[in-house]
Amino acid sequence: MKPDVLRCDVAVIGGGSAGIAAAVTAARTGARTVLIERHGFLGGMGTASLVHSFCGLYLLRDEPGAVFANPGFATEIANLMMESTGIGPLRSGRVDVLPQHPVEFALIADRLVKAEHMLEVRLHSEVTGVTRDGDGWLIRFNDRSGNHSLAAASLVDASGDAVIAGFMGEGFAIAPAARLQRPAYVLGVRSLSEMSDDVRLRASGLLVEAVRSGELPADALGFSFRASGRPGEIFASLDLSGAAPADDFDPLDAGCLSRLEMRGREIASQTIRWLAARDDAWRGSYISHWPVRAGIRESRRWIGEYVLTGEDLLEGRRFDDEIALATWPMEFRENPRGPKLRFPHESRPCGIPMRCLKPLGFERLFVAGRCISADHDAQASIRVMGTCFATGEAAGRAAAC
Amino acid sequence: MSPCSGWKQSFENPRLRFPLDETMSCIAISARMDSSKQISPDPTELIDWLNAEGLLELDWDFPEDGDLFSAGLDSMAVMQLVVAVEDEYGVELTPDDLTRKNLATPKTLAALIAAKTS
Repeated sequence: MKPDVLRCDVAVIGGGSAGIAAAVTAARTGARTVLIERHGFLGGMGTASLVHSFCGLYLLRDEPGAVFANPGFATEIANLMMESTGIGPLRSGRVDVLPQHPVEFALIADRLVKAEHMLEVRLHSEVTGVTRDGDGWLIRFNDRSGNHSLAAASLVDASGDAVIAGFMGEGFAIAPAARLQRPAYVLGVRSLSEMSDDVRLRASGLLVEAVRSGELPADALGFSFRASGRPGEIFASLDLSGAAPADDFDPLDAGCLSRLEMRGREIASQTIRWLAARDDAWRGSYISHWPVRAGIRESRRWIGEYVLTGEDLLEGRRFDDEIALATWPMEFRENPRGPKLRFPHESRPCGIPMRCLKPLGFERLFVAGRCISADHDAQASIRVMGTCFATGEAAGRAAAC
Repeated sequence: MSPCSGWKQSFENPRLRFPLDETMSCIAISARMDSSKQISPDPTELIDWLNAEGLLELDWDFPEDGDLFSAGLDSMAVMQLVVAVEDEYGVELTPDDLTRKNLATPKTLAALIAAKTS
């Protein structure tokens, strides 16, 4: 059976933090909206990749107390998360973060999209092509029933990987493989001990010993741990080198991802077993769940009417057409040896102009999330979920007009 | 040529597929070297050294009793620190040494290294 062409006002590709915000906002604005997501739940990095903190929600401040940077959808979803987990923002070094739980995030997203009568969600659907269709767009996607077509007046690329630019073969930039931010492999661990600071620091010492003695591979030094907020559960994050040699890393290539995810599981399994056998605080620990996919931090970036730069971030530049504030420091993960943070002068927030959400030379196309128009340095700030909610909301509103 | 085009080659050669990364070779070197300084640092030197090693980015006027954790010292940086301390000062920090108290400031860290040196 050949299915009919579906029609809508706004199509949103990708149901991560940016896509949820874009789709819900477009529907609330009154547009008939379709959200296409490849996984069986929404949330993207925050669910499928178990990235367990909302970063970029709050202003950088020396004073205690977390203050929201972006009103609107970012604040709305943060409040819903706090109601679900009972956990508020934490100060970590100089930044405030909101711990989030992937299980709660998937549910919150379900409830938000179900509340919108103008919004249809297609989970388990992979976009396979996008072409111009008169003034609008024709999107081809498939699920297990076959191939489908969707005609949309406006299109939002919230895919994280700028897949629409990929289909068109133009309009994007990508950093050299060796400079791309390295991926994170985050897993759930059942642990009977409290993940106090001292347990975490002691684990660092244990892992160095194990690597020194040859009992664990050097990649185990990419681990960090955090309590999930639920009794008996922690998250372990493994920063992966991506590929060896480093310039073979391609976050868009399934073969590359397959190898690095299998490597992540192997290291994680060896490491948690080793800790459980070796240290009282880890006795009885085991891996309780894997992520659906590695947490990709950077791949293609759209080239828009304006390209936000690292210099803009450092200076805390503001723009007449800004639609959101970027407040997360530039967080570089170009190697698996821990984050390197670069803070803006005087902790100033940086504006994100609407022009960064408008790919150069394409009408009725908007971009949201980690693949908006920014250089490699600025992307190290704007990629975080707190900021993606805000750019998603702006893209959804613009697309619905 | 795709950036991942080397995959077949790396797939066939296990050494290419999972080579020792820089950290590993750094550890291997440190295990072989007995020529490290063996001099315990004062807190100001330690601040310069943490910067030079790229472990942290501290301001030139970072105080001796400034909070290293607020300045970005996390559990992954601590692993790099343990490796680097052994290289530079010939001191092996054990898991039990790595407490929040011992690592809190340049002063406490310098005291820890000094105590392990003597």
